[in-house]
Amino acid sequence: MSEETTTLEKTTDEFVEKRERQPVVLAILCNWCSYAGADLAGSSRLHYPENVRIVRVPCSGRVDPMFVLKGFQKGFDGVMVLGCHPGDCHYAKGNYYARRRIAMVKDLLTTLGIAEDRFHFEWVSASEGNRFAELINEFTAKLAELGPFGGVAGNG
Amino acid sequence: MDDVQSRIREEARKVLESGQVSLVLGWGKGSTPFKTTPVFIEKPEDVDRLVWNPACVNNLSVYLPKLTKDKKVAVVAKPCDIRSLITLMQERQVSRDNVYIIGLGCGGVVDVFNLDEQDFHIQDVTGLDWDSGKLKVTAGSSEYVLDCSTCLRDMCLICTKRSPAIFDVELGEAVLPEELCAGQSVLPDIPEERRRYWSEQFSRCIRCYACRQVCPSCYCTTCFADRIEPKWTAKKATADEAWMFHATRAMHLAGRCIACGECERACPVDIPIAELQREMNKITSERYKYDAGNSEQDKPLFGQFEDEDFDPAHHSEK
Amino acid sequence: MMMTDKVLSKEKIGEFVDGLSGRYTVVAPVRRNGSPAEFRDVTAQDSIVIDGSAALMPPKDYLLPRYEKLMRVDTRDGQVQIEAPVPEAVPRVMLGAWLPDVKALDVLDKVFLDDKFKDPYYAARRENTVTVAVVPLKPRWSWFCTSVDDVTEWKSKADVLSYDLGDAIYFEPITERGAAILDGAALADPTDGQVAAKEGVWKAFAEVPHCAFAGKDLYENLCWDSPIWDDIAQRCVSCGVCTYVCPSCSCFDVQDEVCGSNCIERYRCRDTCQFEDFTLMGAGHNPREQKVPRARQRLMHKFKYQREQFGITACTGCGRCVEMCPVNIDIRDALCTVCSSEIETTAGTT
Repeated sequence: MSEETTTLEKTTDEFVEKRERQPVVLAILCNWCSYAGADLAGSSRLHYPENVRIVRVPCSGRVDPMFVLKGFQKGFDGVMVLGCHPGDCHYAKGNYYARRRIAMVKDLLTTLGIAEDRFHFEWVSASEGNRFAELINEFTAKLAELGPFGGVAGNG
Repeated sequence: MDDVQSRIREEARKVLESGQVSLVLGWGKGSTPFKTTPVFIEKPEDVDRLVWNPACVNNLSVYLPKLTKDKKVAVVAKPCDIRSLITLMQERQVSRDNVYIIGLGCGGVVDVFNLDEQDFHIQDVTGLDWDSGKLKVTAGSSEYVLDCSTCLRDMCLICTKRSPAIFDVELGEAVLPEELCAGQSVLPDIPEERRRYWSEQFSRCIRCYACRQVCPSCYCTTCFADRIEPKWTAKKATADEAWMFHATRAMHLAGRCIACGECERACPVDIPIAELQREMNKITSERYKYDAGNSEQDKPLFGQFEDEDFDPAHHSEK
Repeated sequence: MMMTDKVLSKEKIGEFVDGLSGRYTVVAPVRRNGSPAEFRDVTAQDSIVIDGSAALMPPKDYLLPRYEKLMRVDTRDGQVQIEAPVPEAVPRVMLGAWLPDVKALDVLDKVFLDDKFKDPYYAARRENTVTVAVVPLKPRWSWFCTSVDDVTEWKSKADVLSYDLGDAIYFEPITERGAAILDGAALADPTDGQVAAKEGVWKAFAEVPHCAFAGKDLYENLCWDSPIWDDIAQRCVSCGVCTYVCPSCSCFDVQDEVCGSNCIERYRCRDTCQFEDFTLMGAGHNPREQKVPRARQRLMHKFKYQREQFGITACTGCGRCVEMCPVNIDIRDALCTVCSSEIETTAGTT
């Protein structure tokens, strides 16, 4: 008898609601590498889809698995976490801790039946503006193929 | 297991009388013959309240962090309870010096829900005992000898660690399961079906937090689920909020869960919570060669890393 | 309307439900995957458990849903729009509720159908639901109804009283609107044998031996300083299962949540006095931070305070807390202890 509503109905921004339905992506980027890389893509005028919601964190080691899970629970079609290449972390070791943790999150998502392609994890450095734009394009295209995320619960 | 039971009582009497410990934590007779309840014995004359039988399900390590803060206690513990205790010691919640471990070899414990679905009426049960790898149930005037697979707690069916890892005294014998199920996953193979499977399971969740409260590894003073700023998961018992709670809890227990199965047993609506953890444990075991609760000297799994760790990052084809 | 008893063969349950579905929304317990049955809106095709034989979540989960939207406030386009839905007063029939659960609705009625304020959400469902209480073939091992009340008085609590005869269900209408649901073709008149069997089922229920605390003055005996609270608190893990499965516990929380950039939703959800933060106040003070006050609150509220307030005992002996408590804190033992100077266990009295 419990009444279920997709949280997507409640949390998708007006902006997205008005436009044609496109995949909405949550991107968690570390300040020193991947965020700078995204910045570079912007200043280089490289084109990538705008339905990417970027959350900046100081380091990929800051990424709490809850951020990823919350993203899916709130209805994002895809979530990505990008960090500095191993060995290049601004805080020396943060991304090594992230590597283990994020690997576990990936496996958890697989166990829970969330399609693997919906979660993306990659090392992107500050100089890789091209790669950033490329991967957003690829990721969004893949998500468009997969279709809207039906929510973590319910029969959507 | 009468013999072991008497030896448990003897040991408890000994450590209380000598003043070695101020309390013995164990299981006592429950309000029905197929249940036991935790008992906190402080006087040597009360040790006869301690029992040992297949109804001794509780993971008593859940009480230890608070109990051992300022005194030394003895705990009557199954091998799984001891692995929990080791995890607690790794994380500095319990000091080894404050625990006297009466370790027991184990033959598995019952799940009352499973017991309720046998040929006899559960209210007629008057006794439970292990019997050469099977379970002997006395109900009414009859004795039933059951395969363990019919009524043991699910996790017990795949448990191979039935001897205490550490102890101050070891009693009883480990009885390994007759058929070692390799812990095959019961999850559907196709991701979408799997998503629906969990959706259906979590839709029953009533957010009572029994799973969290009986788990010795869940000892946070304020759980993430109870925080309101930020509100990680709302209090309402909808399937997606339940998903958020259980998924996050699974992450918090990764590398720390010793798979006792108490969470599943305590769940009033029969959600297979431990299944999630079992999948996680398989991965941490294979990938990092790490099992929770092995040794006090181990460092927490996610508090360390190796340069050559498995790298889950996507590698673009250039 | 003739108040005649009827019998329904279990193979015809679907037909019976079909017959009612035209006039009523039929609500009945449905099992999923071996977990306790839950009340849902059902059709003739659903497999329902109306003989009281399965573990069952209480009817309060249907009448007071675990998650209930109360209000939605939208501020788009500079306008404030408030939606406050109230469930429609549709006629319902609730089959298969245990008799102690139907009696527990009395308690919920006292809380939610008060003279001064009637909860419109609860009222819309409760007042339009014809209740069919069931007495199962064999009383559940954990039931102690006879120890908390005179169960013969419970016969008048439902609109229809039903009994499990094994291969059939015996229906005994109590009220006019109860009788009105028993006019379907699937039902038959009872044989003498079935009438006798029904009496036997009632007898088995009404004669469940009393626990040691029955007949004692719980009201007087439950005192603030009893050592029983320490005994319970020591073992209790504060999980809240007892209150969640209790048919008469109704504590709820009201939360406001943002649901998009322009709206908030207010909803009601379960809460329990057993959670550590239940009495946590804005400034940080928490009178029941320790387990002893919480253990005490649970029993005294159930057996003392609600009697003071409403004149009825809030516990109906359905035994769910006894079955579900992960550490086997048995409310029956606790009550025996407060009424005597020694701990008496109830093992063997059921």
